[in-house]
Amino acid sequence: MLSNQYPEVPLEDKQRLFDQVKHDQRFDDYLYGCYECGICVAACPSARFYDFSPRKIAQTLAREDIEMFYEQMNDDIWNCSQCFSCLRCPRQNNPGGLITIMREVAVNNGLRSTKEALAGYTRIIYKIMTTGTQVSPDMLQEDAFPDWGPQVKEVAQHLDLWRRALPPETLHTTGLSWQVEERTMLELYTIWKLTGVLNMISELDEGLHDIMEEVMDDALEDQGFSVV
Amino acid sequence: MAVDRLLVIGAGPAGIEAARGAADLGTEVLLVEATGELGGTPYHHYATLTPHLKETHEAMYPMLEGIKAHPGIDVRYNARVTKSQGQAGDFQVTLVGENGQETQESVGAIVVATGFQHFDPGRETQLYGYYEFEDVITLVDAEHMMKTGKIVRPSNGEPPERVAFIQCVGSRDRQIGNRWCSKVCCGVASKQSIEVKRLLPNAKVFIFYIDMRMYGFWEDQLYWKAQEEHKVNYVRGIVTEILKKGDKLLMKGEDTTMGRPVEVLMDLVILSVGMEPSRGTVEMAQVFGMPFEDHGFLATVGEPLDTVSTPVPGVFVAGAAAGPKDIEDSVSMGGSAAVKAVGLLNRLKRSSA
Repeated sequence: MLSNQYPEVPLEDKQRLFDQVKHDQRFDDYLYGCYECGICVAACPSARFYDFSPRKIAQTLAREDIEMFYEQMNDDIWNCSQCFSCLRCPRQNNPGGLITIMREVAVNNGLRSTKEALAGYTRIIYKIMTTGTQVSPDMLQEDAFPDWGPQVKEVAQHLDLWRRALPPETLHTTGLSWQVEERTMLELYTIWKLTGVLNMISELDEGLHDIMEEVMDDALEDQGFSVV
Repeated sequence: MAVDRLLVIGAGPAGIEAARGAADLGTEVLLVEATGELGGTPYHHYATLTPHLKETHEAMYPMLEGIKAHPGIDVRYNARVTKSQGQAGDFQVTLVGENGQETQESVGAIVVATGFQHFDPGRETQLYGYYEFEDVITLVDAEHMMKTGKIVRPSNGEPPERVAFIQCVGSRDRQIGNRWCSKVCCGVASKQSIEVKRLLPNAKVFIFYIDMRMYGFWEDQLYWKAQEEHKVNYVRGIVTEILKKGDKLLMKGEDTTMGRPVEVLMDLVILSVGMEPSRGTVEMAQVFGMPFEDHGFLATVGEPLDTVSTPVPGVFVAGAAAGPKDIEDSVSMGGSAAVKAVGLLNRLKRSSA
């Protein structure tokens, strides 16, 4: 009732997203009622650096304030670091968990603001979902991380050698954090397809989704699996 | 020779418990009530009692019947105390009945339980328009409506879609001259918000407040219950003004925790009016020469350890005549006043024997 940041979006659309959040099976365990006491904000690391308030998230959902909720879906939920310091709530609310649900609904519905917020993460999503690891040694480049000091150049030049010096054979990698078993990758692909995690990406970035689906389907098919 | 007889003035929860307590201890009791009915303000005005939402007449029935049937209690209805002479152990009081006839009564001690009256919203310094807009009502008006089993907009008889309570009307306000918290209105408003939601599950209900004060078990019995089970919206911020817009009410205020001004339309606004000393309480101060405390209620001595002794020997106070009280506190004070008064009469009896 107090926000009109998105007047062009029909109320029914906002209500539909709100209902998806409210009817999530975790919702009732994550939100009782809000005193508006602010202990969650006091505990929140993000609140120190951004114009972000877990209190307002809990408060808005408790009040069923649809307009404000829609504003938060677009402008606030990606400022949370999901550290769950806010769990110290005296009413046993879980503002961080509420944000988890809101993020899932935002991704599932492909909100424009969510696409923008996550645009910089395309490469990370691709890497983690197709290889099972995120940060890899070959990301260690002098121009990428100047604050890491002059030795980075030396390390980067002989990266393969440094990695082979490590005792576990699975760490003799440069493009991956470690060697992931093929069987593990097939299990991950199966989980991502069956749980709908892969489908979440389709609303967000259709091209990325199609590329990843092809990678996964090919790998599964090569081993004689079919996951529909 | 001390008169072994106690006068209790006012038959609300405090006076009833004082009368019952003293009579059970063996002292003869004269119970004087200004109206034609026992039970006081809650019985006359409240559809249900806080915090358990029990129907008032049903809940108070055993209490009232116990008084009517008690052989040690003489009840005088439609009577007021107008004069008093004498001192502890030997008061001569004058009662004036319905037709103006006076009677003289001898009593040894007195319990004043003349209670409170609701704040008149015509005196508020904000602009809520209680006497201008039909759909602006008080907690008391809402109780009267709930007694008939419904809650509607007085202007058109339709059920409201949006209902707002405004807290602290006539309380906690230096401008008005009432610096106190009336103690029960947060709980009563929360109780009523639950009742509104039970009657009208699709209604949006808001409570605009300065601080929610629901001490003890009212916390989860009323506050959490209204907020969690019935999705009542508690908004911290007090409304400055109510205007008419079409057939709706436009409320202006601030949502302080969200840091935004609020202008919203409501169908029904309920003012949480607080407590002031009743006319009877002010009259009894004059009749017995009792001083007021700082806020205009009857003063007691020895607070916080003695809640019922007034500076006038032989005169005790119980209930909201001494300041804002809920029913539990009023009844407890009634019992305490009975013990103190009977104790005094017994001491006087022994010393004169």
